Amino acid sequence: MSAFSVTEPSKRAKGVAATLVIFYAIVTMIPLAWIFITGFKSPADAIAYPPKVVFQPTLEGYVNLFTTRTRQTQEFLDANPPENWAEEIVRQYDMVIVGPSKFGERFLNSVIIGFGSTFLSVFLGTLAAYAFSRFKIPLADDLLFFILSTRMMPPIAVAIPIFLMYRELGLSDTHLGMILLYTAVNISLAVWLLKGFIDEIPREYEEAALIDGYTRFQAFYKVVLPQAATGIASTAIFCLIFAWNEYAFAVLLTSATAQTAPPFIPTIIGIGGLDWPAVAAGATLFLLPVMIFTILLRRHLLRGITFGAVRK
Amino acid sequence: MTQTTMDRAAKATPVRVARRIRGLSDRAIAWIFVAPTIFLLLAINIFPLIWTIRLSFTNYKANRAGREIKEIGLRNYERILTDSDIWLNMQATAHFLVWTIVLQVLIGFTLAWLINRKFKGNDLWTTIIVLPMMLSPAVVGNFWKFLYQPQIGLFNYIVAFFTGREPSSFEMLGSVELAPWAIVIVDTWMWTPFVMLICLAGLRSIPDYIYEAAEIDRASPIRQFFTITIPMVLPFLMLAVLFRGIENFKMFDLVVQLTGGGPGSTTELTSINLKREAFEKWRTGYASAYAIILFVTVFGLASIYVKALNRVKER
Amino acid sequence: MSKPSNDPNMMSTLRQEDTAPAAKSWKRFFLRGPWEMLATIIIALGVVMLMQPYVMWAYTYSFITTLVGTVMFIIVSHFPEEV
Repeated sequence: MSAFSVTEPSKRAKGVAATLVIFYAIVTMIPLAWIFITGFKSPADAIAYPPKVVFQPTLEGYVNLFTTRTRQTQEFLDANPPENWAEEIVRQYDMVIVGPSKFGERFLNSVIIGFGSTFLSVFLGTLAAYAFSRFKIPLADDLLFFILSTRMMPPIAVAIPIFLMYRELGLSDTHLGMILLYTAVNISLAVWLLKGFIDEIPREYEEAALIDGYTRFQAFYKVVLPQAATGIASTAIFCLIFAWNEYAFAVLLTSATAQTAPPFIPTIIGIGGLDWPAVAAGATLFLLPVMIFTILLRRHLLRGITFGAVRK
Repeated sequence: MTQTTMDRAAKATPVRVARRIRGLSDRAIAWIFVAPTIFLLLAINIFPLIWTIRLSFTNYKANRAGREIKEIGLRNYERILTDSDIWLNMQATAHFLVWTIVLQVLIGFTLAWLINRKFKGNDLWTTIIVLPMMLSPAVVGNFWKFLYQPQIGLFNYIVAFFTGREPSSFEMLGSVELAPWAIVIVDTWMWTPFVMLICLAGLRSIPDYIYEAAEIDRASPIRQFFTITIPMVLPFLMLAVLFRGIENFKMFDLVVQLTGGGPGSTTELTSINLKREAFEKWRTGYASAYAIILFVTVFGLASIYVKALNRVKER
Repeated sequence: MSKPSNDPNMMSTLRQEDTAPAAKSWKRFFLRGPWEMLATIIIALGVVMLMQPYVMWAYTYSFITTLVGTVMFIIVSHFPEEV
């Protein structure tokens, strides 16, 4: 770079740009910050007017999220003093904790289905991507387009026959059914992304390994896989985020045993309508992992969201 | 260049022969590697699709298994394509589609252009701006419903604060005029970063020397913007627009959580409408035809998208 | 947009012109570029017809338009890129 460059913006231009971008970033964060804050409010504070920014923080939302409670008579409450801090919070409303809520279960379902489908789609996707990258496959372009187009299908349109099919096979509302379904949706992303990553690994490495007496298989897992590790990891995170966030299939095909968190969180009901602090608490716990992963992924974001078309 | 040297090397050493003796042939490995993926997609995508096509010619109802299934030819298609209510749903979708794309392109491009000034810390702020689009639309949409509450909601409060109106005087989700805009606002909040990222990639793909040459020719900054920046970013922008178009055409989770299609059917986008037909009214055959119509539209747009994708890839 | 890729294309058409003019014009008719563009326009037209708020019959015939465009796109995308 020369000392004077026409493409380098002036200090003032940079300052103006920075101000505007930071302003937008702050505005865009308000709803997310509000979710986080509301999780620590009491139900009364959450629906106060004007909206409260300063308030007495409480874990009520989180307690309500994880427990089911019932109202009890005064005699019962007097006879059984609260045993821990969570009980004490509930006592304010003359209630006792009677057991865990479904949230833990739903969250666990999200984890099982998310990781299960991610593992499967990355595993199958890596194999397919390697084949598409290295071998001449007849009609490769058509197959790749076919794979990508499956990703574009409207979930509700696909859900009708899947619903009927799963009903016949006994797969509806099972973990396996959801894992297979999410794998089928994610595999297109996995193949396209991983093909890009594997294309970037020079063929010479494998050729050298083959000359050294490795078989194709050995060359694949001893040479190509380690080289593609970063790509595989970031692909996995993209698949995981998709499965984690998915709602349409989950709401249509699961109800009791395999329901994931997204259809569940909006249904958390408190006394007289939605229990917003509990909803916010659930949303916070649910969204936080994705935010952390997004920050980890930031270098690969574009690649992931454009199916690997845009690299940087 | 490397290809030819490689070929020569390959011919010089008896690798291929050796490989075939030691392990599976390349062709066999290729098929073993690709087959599971293709099989899975055939089982979970293509087979159901063919089934949907078949059902779309019948009057099947999934909640009445015993009922006799009658072939009714193209009647379902005929009824959907002459139904003015569904036409209205399409128009609601169009409103959503057009305005989200317009707003996202304008804001997204501006942001990308500003970030491309390369001020200190732009990476950090870009990452923060990107956060909303990675989150679960259903969960976020559900929470926006809280922000949109007429009396207690933060959105109404902020708008009221700046316009001097009563915060309870307007209902973003409850009124027929405002609800279509409420969903546009949330989608724009969520997906502007997507357009921004792609525009940013487009802007960064323009080599500096083009601007330097323009500077030597004494082209004004405005002229440079319209003759260099815009045309160079356009293919990327097309990609973003097509992708958002496809995604919003089949939009379901965010809007269903926000408005559930209401009030009335003002925000009943096609996917929500389809869900009602298929899983509430259980008109499976009819809904299958509807699904095929949506599917063909998305498939058509997707083929254009892939073409645009390849064009960007070639650059 | 992509000038360098256009040049060899033109060169090859010129070269083939002296060898087999009749066969070449046939092949040139089935080039991918313009056909793909036409299919793209038909698909876009179908999508606009589907969602426009003005004419009912346009909505009614939108599906068949999109279908024709899409099928056409699948077919013509197998045409050769250059002669």
